[in-house]
Amino acid sequence: MSQRDPDRGEPMVVASAGELMFPATRRNFLRTLMAGGSVMLLPSVFTACSDDDDDNPLGPGNIPAPVTGVSFDLRSDVGIFRLLHLNEQLEAAFYTAVVSSGTFSSFSADERELFIDLRNTEVIHREFVRTALGSQALPDVRGSINLNVLNNILSSRVNIITASRLFEHVGVAALNGAGKYLQDARNLLVAGKFASVEARHAAALRDILPPAGVNANTAFAGDDIIDATGRDVKLEAGAVLDRVAATGIVMPGTLATPPITAAPTAAQGVPTADFFPANP
Amino acid sequence: MDNQQPILDGIDPEITERLVSRRDAIRQGAGMGSRLAAGLAMASVPVAIAALAKETFAQTPADILDVLKFAFILENLENEFYRAVLGTSALAAQNNAFAPVRALIPDAAKQTFQQIQKHEQQHVDFLKAVIPQFGGTPVTITAADFDFTGGNGAGTGPFARATTELDFLLLATQAFEDTGVRAYKGQAGRLLINGNNNADIALESALRIHSVEARHAAKIRRIRRQRNPGDTTLRFSGYVRGGGLAAAGAGNVANPPAEVVAALNLIYGGATPESNTQHVVFNGTSAVTIDAATLTGLDVIDAGERTAAATQAFDEPLTKDEVIAIVKNFIKDDAARGLP
Repeated sequence: MSQRDPDRGEPMVVASAGELMFPATRRNFLRTLMAGGSVMLLPSVFTACSDDDDDNPLGPGNIPAPVTGVSFDLRSDVGIFRLLHLNEQLEAAFYTAVVSSGTFSSFSADERELFIDLRNTEVIHREFVRTALGSQALPDVRGSINLNVLNNILSSRVNIITASRLFEHVGVAALNGAGKYLQDARNLLVAGKFASVEARHAAALRDILPPAGVNANTAFAGDDIIDATGRDVKLEAGAVLDRVAATGIVMPGTLATPPITAAPTAAQGVPTADFFPANP
Repeated sequence: MDNQQPILDGIDPEITERLVSRRDAIRQGAGMGSRLAAGLAMASVPVAIAALAKETFAQTPADILDVLKFAFILENLENEFYRAVLGTSALAAQNNAFAPVRALIPDAAKQTFQQIQKHEQQHVDFLKAVIPQFGGTPVTITAADFDFTGGNGAGTGPFARATTELDFLLLATQAFEDTGVRAYKGQAGRLLINGNNNADIALESALRIHSVEARHAAKIRRIRRQRNPGDTTLRFSGYVRGGGLAAAGAGNVANPPAEVVAALNLIYGGATPESNTQHVVFNGTSAVTIDAATLTGLDVIDAGERTAAATQAFDEPLTKDEVIAIVKNFIKDDAARGLP
């Protein structure tokens, strides 16, 4: 953590090069330099600089080059599983970054258990879907993650949980909306096995930090995410991708324009009305 | 990874997949109609499809209706259970039975129970409205039809302690919710009827109710863990860890009756127990089993944690027969209510 009260003339402490990715840290860093103040770079900054991968929140390991123009043909179970693969990759990368972030140490022990479970589950989901898709799997999209956006999220507990809630609710809504287009019952069963697990995440996350104004005892399945017939969130595929893009978590150009090259056929199913709040 | 070769490779041609799916649908169906048999015998794909379209659709209402009516019974069971717990049942005897434990429920948990009950009532109302649209009639079922002690009407069954002990009540609640999640998951495939928009509507609604039940189960698990911090089987993530009795997290219920232990083994066990890590994906030509505990790319997960993590990452289905075996002692005269 960078710690400095700019009004008191104390030296600014920068613990890692990665901190300079945070807009606020970078602003302070520059302001301090320009004002002739002193900046203390802890040894960890230089350690990190010796290996580029270590200061990448997605690391360690090789992060591939960004991918561009990812598109989806939803006329088969493969196309629908590829969309699932995108979500699972982003979730797995995100929770991996959360668990290794500096902010994570400020979480309670209960919350750390929860997030390690989330990371483990999403990594398993990602690898399962990748294995299932084989040569039709999406490329590794970690290089397309916008590090400025990611680091901003990682800068606070509230940002992390708020972003996690959104990802999980998009995940639940995507599976609830896509099931009807699947054509094989075994693939539908696998999607169902994922869906209820994602719903458990979503409920737990709302339980530890409800959206503003939502009752903490009912937030896990609050009236903003369950409709008057007792049914959960649901999004069609196009809306799923819109929600993902709107977070800015993937860099512009990662998804093709438009990202869906072929919608499900009428024989697969027909679209239904979406149900999803602005701030799940 | 010889046993984990990619399985969705080469699915691309849409028509091939649909043909295979339909062929499977038929194989699972009651039998092959004469026109379909003729079509297949002639090895004429278009003729076979045309015949299949009519014959599959002719079968569908029964399958959809059966699932919806089954769900209606389960939702009534859950709804009447919560009404009894909260003291809002139409039947005084049900309210009176749960009065001792009701006095022990903290206000925060009471609000949670109220929210869950509201959803179960909404599910009951939704199914009651939808079943006639598929040409069916919902069974008549009231609070008097249930015995929440699991005593099949005696009122003194193995779950009787749920009426007097809060931890026992929470365990029973979690078990009901997880049974619901597993029941919907097991029935979803029967609502998958390609090319039938009515089936799609039923399927999507079932999936959306299914994930609400999972939220309920997760919340109850979190409440139980908070009351019982040492029991790490009860995950703060709300997941089901492991299978059978171990997955229930019954450690804080002293000396559970043998019948309850047996019930929990059914609720978290079955032909595909919650401890299962092997899942089948189908690519249009072949089905391949993938073991989620031994995938490559799991390096960030401690090696000793991977199997537990893999059981948590997938919820598992129950068959209809398995669900009936679990719930039948909670429903008096269950045959008259449409259960076999």
